[in-house]
Amino acid sequence: MRAGTGSAVRRARTGWRFMAPALTVVVAVTIFPIVYSIYMSFNRIQLTLHGFHFQWVGLSNYRLLMASGLYRYAMEFTIVYAVITVLAELILGTLAALILQRLRRGRSGLLALLLLPWSLITVISAEMWGYIYNGVYGVLDAILLSLHIIRTPVVWLGFPQLAIASTMFADVWKTMPFVAILVLAGLEMIPVEVIEASYMDGAGSWQIFWRVQLPLIRSTMSLAVLFRILQAFGLFDLPFVLTGGGPGTATESIAVLGYQVMFQDLSFGPGAAVAASTTALVLIMAMVFLWVFRGMAEEGMA
Amino acid sequence: MKRDTALVRVGALLLALFVAAPLYWMLVTSFKTPSAVGQTPPAWFPHPFTWMNYRTSFTYLDFQRYFMNSVIIAVSSTLAVLVLGSGAGYALARFPVRGRMGIMTALLVVSVFPEIAVISPLYLLMRLVGWLNSYQGLIIPYTAFNLPFAIWILRNYFLSIPREMEEVAEIDGANPLRTFLSIIIPQATPGLFTAAVFTFTATWTEFLMALTINSITPYRTIPVGIALFGAQYTVPYGNLFAASMVSIVPIAVLVLIFRNAVVSGLTQGAVKG
Repeated sequence: MRAGTGSAVRRARTGWRFMAPALTVVVAVTIFPIVYSIYMSFNRIQLTLHGFHFQWVGLSNYRLLMASGLYRYAMEFTIVYAVITVLAELILGTLAALILQRLRRGRSGLLALLLLPWSLITVISAEMWGYIYNGVYGVLDAILLSLHIIRTPVVWLGFPQLAIASTMFADVWKTMPFVAILVLAGLEMIPVEVIEASYMDGAGSWQIFWRVQLPLIRSTMSLAVLFRILQAFGLFDLPFVLTGGGPGTATESIAVLGYQVMFQDLSFGPGAAVAASTTALVLIMAMVFLWVFRGMAEEGMA
Repeated sequence: MKRDTALVRVGALLLALFVAAPLYWMLVTSFKTPSAVGQTPPAWFPHPFTWMNYRTSFTYLDFQRYFMNSVIIAVSSTLAVLVLGSGAGYALARFPVRGRMGIMTALLVVSVFPEIAVISPLYLLMRLVGWLNSYQGLIIPYTAFNLPFAIWILRNYFLSIPREMEEVAEIDGANPLRTFLSIIIPQATPGLFTAAVFTFTATWTEFLMALTINSITPYRTIPVGIALFGAQYTVPYGNLFAASMVSIVPIAVLVLIFRNAVVSGLTQGAVKG
């Protein structure tokens, strides 16, 4: 054993030396911009030929946002979208995990298939769904017409409610497998004996799921949910490519709005205020995330 | 559990269909002629079958360049993440650094931050130093954004490696860097693979930063190239999906080969914290 404070101090110093390069990069390129973006949100910003010019304007960018119906809608849309898609993913993902857990033949093949949407470039999946949803030659209309479910072709991305639902469906398709894999891992951590004992006691599959498995994977599930909700707050690629935020502004998320304000209107001050509100949302959720994580660590579940 | 089999099989079939059908449609479309792509009702198989879309995407539509840019940027970022991340992961796993838990927590929070929260300062910074439309303009942010998760994965992996050999090396008088390179790294390959697959996937698919920082053709990556492909009124879906299939293949192969690493990484990332 290494004793003596001298050696401990020396080892700590060596540790810092190993960490310093990585931490420097992370602080400089992620943490500094997060903080700087908040500072930017209190300024009027003008781009000059090579640099930029700041002028302190206090809360005026935020007042602008508060008065904007577009911003309020984007905020609402992003939160509602996150809640609904994550809930749908959780239900479908859990079902998928239960199927995978019981499946014997073709299990690893199915698991591999599930990894494909997860690893797909979101821009590509957006284009893919754009073609499927197309109101003239889309395959979804063709299928529904031939099954006599609809009588005339539906322009899926042409109406606000439908466009929102279609975007959500495409999102669930891509991210449900992530939840399924996490829940499956949680299920596999439950000792086989626990399940077998419940069978011996005469419990049915559903009872076992509700009374035995679900309570045991609750913490895994809540972490998956929080993680996914945080990701969903940053929603950008899918609506940007699939609907362009439309029709009108129906699918305009905070990130899409922020991008438009910053890089199309070149209003960096108000854009930074939009970005800072994402930071606030994420920090609040991160607190919840950590609180749950602490609870889990204390229960000895980690 | 035996009586569930029929239900489970039907469920598995539906699940496979749900996941595979859209992908199948993209694959089929990539082999169709332009007139077949816009045909109603659509044909379930590509008839006549053509490789034309693949040739066009690569010879006329700059896709070759986007592909090369993506490879250069994703590979460089992944290497940088592995080099920097393994050092930090090792320090957090083995050395009595003060504030270790605080650092780990901060990394966890940073790793879930949406890009929109940082994109404007990054853009201004890159503009200031003249790195808009350059490789380093994306490699540096990609490295920084993927480090936190990689550090977590690697630290967890280092914790699972027994300490004995390091202690022997230390007694023999080897310096920490040498111990790390010759004893720890060789034992950590599975952890390194997991971190590499995750970083590569994340950088290969990233869109918002690539769109804002590298916006002109010579430096565009695949996602930007594909998104702006379809900016015209009529989308050339055949070409688009041919290009898409080509860019899916490397990542799909990587993920399928290392699927155990991916699954364990996903699980570690969220189950173990």
